[in-house]
Amino acid sequence: MKSKLFLIAMLLSSVLCVLALSGCRKSVAAVNADPSLRAYDTEPDWNDATKLIPLGYQEAQGKRIFYQYCVWCHADATPAGPSNRSNLTSASPLMNDGEKLNGETDEFLQNIITQGGSAQGRSPMMPPYGKTLSPGDIKAVISFTRAIAQPAYKQSGSPHTTK
Amino acid sequence: MSKRGIINWLHRTFFASPAHRFAWASVLLLITLAIAPTKDFFNEWRHYQRQYASFLSSRQDGAALKRNLNAGIQQIWLPDLSVVDRCTTCHLAVTEKTLQGAPGVPEPYKAHPPAGHDVKDWGCVICHRGQGPATEVAEAHTATRAWEQPLLPVKYIQGSCGSCHHGELPEAPQLARGRELLARLNCQGCHKLNNLEPASLGPDLSSVGYKVSRAWIYKWLKEPRTVLDKDGNTTVNGYESGDESRMPQYRLSEPELLSLSAFLSVQKARPLESYKVNPGVVAAWSKKLDLISQGEERFRQLMCTTCHPVAVTRAGETKLIGGNIAPELTKVGSKVNGDWLVSWLHNPQGYLAHAEMPRYGWTDEELYKVSQYVMNKLTDSDLLTAVPQLGVPTDEEVKRGKKIFLDKGCATCHSLQGILPQKDFGPDLTTMGAKNTSELDFGKSPAPHNLISYLQTKLKDPASVNPTARMPQYAWNQSDLDAVTTALLSQTGKAATSGLQQLVVAKKPASFQPVGAFAAVYERYKCYACHRFNGYGGTLAPDLTYEGSLAQKKWIFDFLKNPQTVRPALILRMPQFNMTDKEASILAEYLALAVQKPGVDPESVDPRQFTPAIAAAGKALYQAKYQCQSCHTIGGSGGYVGPNLNNAGNWLTPAWIEAWLRNPQALQPGTIEPRRDFSEDEIRDLTAYLMTLRVGISKSSPKSSANAVPIAREAGR
Repeated sequence: MKSKLFLIAMLLSSVLCVLALSGCRKSVAAVNADPSLRAYDTEPDWNDATKLIPLGYQEAQGKRIFYQYCVWCHADATPAGPSNRSNLTSASPLMNDGEKLNGETDEFLQNIITQGGSAQGRSPMMPPYGKTLSPGDIKAVISFTRAIAQPAYKQSGSPHTTK
Repeated sequence: MSKRGIINWLHRTFFASPAHRFAWASVLLLITLAIAPTKDFFNEWRHYQRQYASFLSSRQDGAALKRNLNAGIQQIWLPDLSVVDRCTTCHLAVTEKTLQGAPGVPEPYKAHPPAGHDVKDWGCVICHRGQGPATEVAEAHTATRAWEQPLLPVKYIQGSCGSCHHGELPEAPQLARGRELLARLNCQGCHKLNNLEPASLGPDLSSVGYKVSRAWIYKWLKEPRTVLDKDGNTTVNGYESGDESRMPQYRLSEPELLSLSAFLSVQKARPLESYKVNPGVVAAWSKKLDLISQGEERFRQLMCTTCHPVAVTRAGETKLIGGNIAPELTKVGSKVNGDWLVSWLHNPQGYLAHAEMPRYGWTDEELYKVSQYVMNKLTDSDLLTAVPQLGVPTDEEVKRGKKIFLDKGCATCHSLQGILPQKDFGPDLTTMGAKNTSELDFGKSPAPHNLISYLQTKLKDPASVNPTARMPQYAWNQSDLDAVTTALLSQTGKAATSGLQQLVVAKKPASFQPVGAFAAVYERYKCYACHRFNGYGGTLAPDLTYEGSLAQKKWIFDFLKNPQTVRPALILRMPQFNMTDKEASILAEYLALAVQKPGVDPESVDPRQFTPAIAAAGKALYQAKYQCQSCHTIGGSGGYVGPNLNNAGNWLTPAWIEAWLRNPQALQPGTIEPRRDFSEDEIRDLTAYLMTLRVGISKSSPKSSANAVPIAREAGR
């Protein structure tokens, strides 16, 4: 009788061991939430307002800076009404103009925003923002431009990747 | 073989002798002891760390990155916040600056983009929430029985900013909009909330019986706002542009509407300070055929739309045009009593002591023309057609109406003589943003069981989670719903520890308390309704905190007497107050002397040093080297981003121009004009040039004000 009890105890404890080993782990799949909730912010496609472009953190910061400083000359509609583009003697590119801007490197855009148009041999009507915005702010604006570009901007492969 | 037989056989074969039994027990013990190390070996985080090592060896810069890699569980500890954060155990490269934005980096190894708080010092959960001490993916990210606070979706993450940053935070616009809405809609009237701007209350209804009819009250209670959308469909409580009515829709039954409208229509607590237009003016004008069109012109010239929006239909599209700090006037002629309107326009504070509308010095002629235009043209003949015949209110109805007024919590927003404000009418929301799902009552709502879905379901339709909810119905657009959700998520209660209290970024108190003669004029014209002084006041018009350094005293005086638009792109212009010379000079004297920027003394730069040659050099710099005309207009050509400089020589002080050219953001943080590398000589030259720009102040200017109208309409699109 004693030995039978022992046998049952052994079986029970083995079952417990198996349970403990498997743990109460939840599947990883449950972690992937609704994609619309993963965008920090969105910006309507300027050519088609029904399409929303998801923006990451840096792009969203760029959007905020863009709508404060740049929108007046680099968009057709501004928060205060008509755009200032028509008042410029040399046309300023729209910020989503992929045909014009996708060809420019990030370095060039960083430089022209920092130093202004004349330092880069472009229109002197573009003032320098290097003493007003931080390099991080300017990088954020560039990432916003890239995000809203039409046709879409294709990021070139990083030189660090070997694959 | 029977069951008994199997047991006997097992026993005979494996447990016959004590040695056998001991051996088996030892094996089991060893297995038990091995469980923990085995589980540990197969832990998810070890898997991710091994995978990261092999990912690094596939990269050229892998060796350098590998040097930063520490094996084992990583932990960031913020004792002051009582936060333990082990996210970096798997998110190994989250602080690697060289991987920021790099392509081809798989999760969980992506680097965090540059943010206000360095992840190295602050960890992840202070913003993203989730279970910091957990080392398993699902436990850290999702809600479990033991930890009901899952990761915050990135869309609402600004809610976390608001837990500590109680003041303004320009980096978090969604949070700011949500807080603005909570204050604007006076959520604090019913709910307790932390760190919000003072609520804006609904109108005092003590004498509302003089102002509107019972039929209008009935209609308003039923449908607080009715607008037509672009397809001609009627939208109730229309909400599109931020100029929406702040009154929500209550779910009132027909008898409730009858009783409440009866009760409100007999509210005549304070006798109306009545004002009658001179009968001579009425006699002279009432016969004129163009009375209404003249009234309309005057309505525009007086710039009523600077504060009040009016719906305008153009090309089949109806839009509200004008400011949003005062009630919409599109149908006001069908709302108010004509005698009341004249008295109100003559002296708003005579009806409502705390009214924010200034007391304009309008003539009887203006009052008559404008009120006739408002009562005849800003109307909607269909507004009250669906209202049933409402007789004289009976005592019974009035009594029932008073009870409904209290039951529905009307006194949370509206004051009424003899009724105390209803404080804490709704639940306390100071810890709403940290609530566990199990604490929320979803009722029969099919909404997913999590905090965000609860907030949005409740805000969209309070009755869907609780059919007997007292909360009224608001009509949100999606982005405002998200903003309010974000602001509520920031309501995470009092700081848990004293350490957190030290980290909390408190709100800056704003105050501006003028005294003396200035205060009286300032109060009469309600300058603070639009202008901001020292952080106190409205944001519709320029901040005047440094006006004394910026503008010349004579210009301020002339502007007050005859306001012109300084910024061509602006649709709103300061209204004509018809101030007396004495009032204008009291304001000009005070502004010029008392509200200066320290370090910018208007007397410090002597304009007599500027020779024509210096000014000519400045003109060349302006036009060619720096091309200031891209943003500023002089003589009719140029951009309209910055102010018009036609009259800069009469308007600005040379000291201000010099200080501004040196560093605009030092004088006005966030201003668009970039700081540039001007030499001191260039600053002097440009200042000298701007000081030569002068135009005579035109005398009375019906022409220039009329010109402002097309711009206003154009820009309102």
